[in-house]
Amino acid sequence: MNCSSEDLKAYFLGELSSRDKAPVEDHVHACQSCREELDRLKLTQTALLALEEEEVPQRIAFVSDKVFEPRWYQTIWRSGPAMGFASAVLLAAAILVHGYARPAGASSVTPTVDTAQIEQRIEREVGARLDTVVQKAVSDAQSKQAAEFAKVLDASEARFETRRKADLATIQQAAEYYEKQMNRWLVASNDTRAGQ
Amino acid sequence: MIFREVEDRDLIAKARRGHVDAYNVLVSRWEKRVFNYLLRLVGHREDALDLSQDVFLKAYQNLKNLEDPAKFPGWLFRIAHNEAYSLLRKNRPEGELAVEPKTGGETSGRMFPMELTLAVQGALSRLSDDQREAVLLKVYQGFKFEEMAEILSCPVSTVKSRLYTALDLLKQTLAPVNMGGAE
Repeated sequence: MNCSSEDLKAYFLGELSSRDKAPVEDHVHACQSCREELDRLKLTQTALLALEEEEVPQRIAFVSDKVFEPRWYQTIWRSGPAMGFASAVLLAAAILVHGYARPAGASSVTPTVDTAQIEQRIEREVGARLDTVVQKAVSDAQSKQAAEFAKVLDASEARFETRRKADLATIQQAAEYYEKQMNRWLVASNDTRAGQ
Repeated sequence: MIFREVEDRDLIAKARRGHVDAYNVLVSRWEKRVFNYLLRLVGHREDALDLSQDVFLKAYQNLKNLEDPAKFPGWLFRIAHNEAYSLLRKNRPEGELAVEPKTGGETSGRMFPMELTLAVQGALSRLSDDQREAVLLKVYQGFKFEEMAEILSCPVSTVKSRLYTALDLLKQTLAPVNMGGAE
């Protein structure tokens, strides 16, 4: 390999591949001139690096300024993958809930919950059942009353019949008595007439 | 270095999603390097600070256009390069851009050893803007030739040419300093 300023600089600057580096290193070992040139380059670099970096006079503050912060909708809108993932999760959750909560054969249209309507329906149902119970109670009471009335009536009739029979017996006894008395009077009258 | 790169990548991803705090961390990591690159390029502290702010603002606004987060350093320095050259073109008449750069007199920094610092500043100031920028990107920022070519929007051969010429000039200019240091 001949002396090559470009190869030496590229080697010095770390721009050669390991394959290209080996021949240059071999040449530098053998070539006094290139070794000296490499030393000069190293000294130059050392001098350049002696120039220290300055601190930034002030913090570059504009980035933290609220003006540059995205709006909430921009943040949501810009986060495409996050939005997609969130949508997928929501969709999956909705399907899952729908599958578990919805009875088989139910309408696909979700009914709207109307509290007033439900209350009216309950009221009507309760009213109807109450009427039925009340009617049955009234009917039972009437039946019971009728039975008791019939029972009382039967007892009264029985008592009336007994009394009537007793009265008839008394009348019959009185009639028999008066008949006997009449007979006695007739016999007495006949005896009186016969005695005269 | 690998972990640092991964962390930068994470910060960039977060900043893209609107996390300003993540971008602030990114800025705090890179502001010193960007500021010093611009300071040595334009030679004026206030200009360098204004340019640094512009660079990070533009970077934030265009972060979504960064295709590969691993290329963030080169991408950031490309923005810095464009901003610096916009200012240099504005401040100098057409055609004089690469003739005589500003002196680096304001880059005082720590003055120890003072002679060496002044000598280096003087040597850098004698380079053309293109040559000086090539040295800044390679020696101070450690970019590869391909990355420099992307930052400067020029072929790798041009990068090499500028850098090698600059090294030869610096070697000559700093020779007395190096001789003194060697003694």
